[in-house]
Amino acid sequence: MKMMGEGAEAKVYSGNFLGVEVVIKDRVRKRYRIKEIDDSLRKRRTKTEARMLYAASSNGINAPNVLLVDGTKLYIRRIKARNLHEYTNGGMVMAGAKMGHALYSAGVQCGILHNIGIAHGDFTPANMMIDGDGGLWIIDFGLAEATRSAEDKALDLLLMKRAVSKGLFARFLSGYRKSSVAHAEITRRLAEIERRGRYQTRTLG
Amino acid sequence: MAVLGIESTAHTFGVGICDNGRILANQKRMYPIKDRGMIPVQVANFHMRNAAAVIKDALDESGLGANQIDAVGYTKGPGLGPCLSVGHMAAKLFSARYRLPLMPVNHALGHIEITKQAFKLKDPLVLYVSGGNSQVLGLVERPFRHYQVYGETFDIGIGNMIDNFARAAHLVPAWGSTVAKAAEHGRYFEMPYTVKGMDFTFTGLLTHAEKSLKSHSVKDTAYSLQETSFAMLCEAAERAMLLSKKKELMACGGVAQSKRLKEMLGMMAGDHDARFFVSPNEFNADNGAMIAVVAEKMHMSGQRYGARALTINQRYRVDTVKVTW
Repeated sequence: MKMMGEGAEAKVYSGNFLGVEVVIKDRVRKRYRIKEIDDSLRKRRTKTEARMLYAASSNGINAPNVLLVDGTKLYIRRIKARNLHEYTNGGMVMAGAKMGHALYSAGVQCGILHNIGIAHGDFTPANMMIDGDGGLWIIDFGLAEATRSAEDKALDLLLMKRAVSKGLFARFLSGYRKSSVAHAEITRRLAEIERRGRYQTRTLG
Repeated sequence: MAVLGIESTAHTFGVGICDNGRILANQKRMYPIKDRGMIPVQVANFHMRNAAAVIKDALDESGLGANQIDAVGYTKGPGLGPCLSVGHMAAKLFSARYRLPLMPVNHALGHIEITKQAFKLKDPLVLYVSGGNSQVLGLVERPFRHYQVYGETFDIGIGNMIDNFARAAHLVPAWGSTVAKAAEHGRYFEMPYTVKGMDFTFTGLLTHAEKSLKSHSVKDTAYSLQETSFAMLCEAAERAMLLSKKKELMACGGVAQSKRLKEMLGMMAGDHDARFFVSPNEFNADNGAMIAVVAEKMHMSGQRYGARALTINQRYRVDTVKVTW
């Protein structure tokens, strides 16, 4: 097992599980929480993340497959792909048409996710990957939740809007409109959130 | 430069005096709270009766005469309207009488700056926890230099949540330290833990705790409530710390007096090779000295305010204030 990175909640390792390349996300113990809260929270969140990932991939979204849930450890299939963030904010370059297509695909998939009642919770290019064929993958469902709230879904759009250029967001929205059944309501909600101003000086996610 | 600061957001009427950041006086009188909440107008009446005496106490403590003061600051908000008005009025009268410039101060900035100054912090991540507020903040330069809200409560402040619970459990006086005492040797039972990214909510937790009083002891409920809500705050702060990559963590505001919260934040910071700072209780409770400290910084950075800015604002958000120093 090789350490890939560390977030606020979890350590992420890469490894091999029964001949399959895997990513292992381990929610680590937090000393500041008493054991009773910490244990149940880490297990519950791991379970929820697995459930969200499963719901997404079984509804046709490109999300990594869950192989095993082991207490606070989540084993998922490793995708051979590059982070979209490296293209939108980093130095990597991609042909404009390919980039536009990736964002369109992100919009379509976001719409499907919302249709099945899931808000991703941290929907930024840092949580998207581009594979060798230009296919777009959505990862890290750690903050995802089953929700009926238009607000939660509109926040996914807001995060995306703040992370990419105007042109790319327009491509994203055209994909979103294509798949999302409630796109009118949710984009209206997005405009409302922006008008409220509370989020204007805030960084989300 | 001697600056006098007047604080009156809630139950405390405080007057402080500082000179180049050095605190010369910090006097206060507090509206007595036993087992019930505050009625703003009654608290304001209390402040009105005590304002002159507290100002005099502060001047006496500092050894300065009123004619030696160079500027006056007051709390513009956020806070209870009637209470803010009394401080505002007192500051206006004082500044008019001695022809002094008047500085409108954001209350949260007071808590932040007095702690930053005491420990000479450069760029801390701030957990601001008081009765009405609970926010995770950090200084950013864009679109202007200000404290950005990384995360905050979506409903009530942590302090109000704890006070409400104290009243429901008939704990007297109904505030945090009483709940902390009641929680000693308590045992945990499950409570709702709600953190969304770097934001959090407390009303669901409060309702759950109040209902649990029927089936659980006050001791166990107080313990579970405290552990849950403090862990939520720690987690929100932890996420913001990793996102912002800041290496100093500070807590401020009334609830930052809690020993258990300080212990938890210290552990969290330590686990990320960051250092944790918290002011003595005197400056985490509401006080006038912190208003004087910020007013002096505003004044020294050349800020002057006309009548339109010299108002009160019950919902004066810290992220709308330009940090000019």
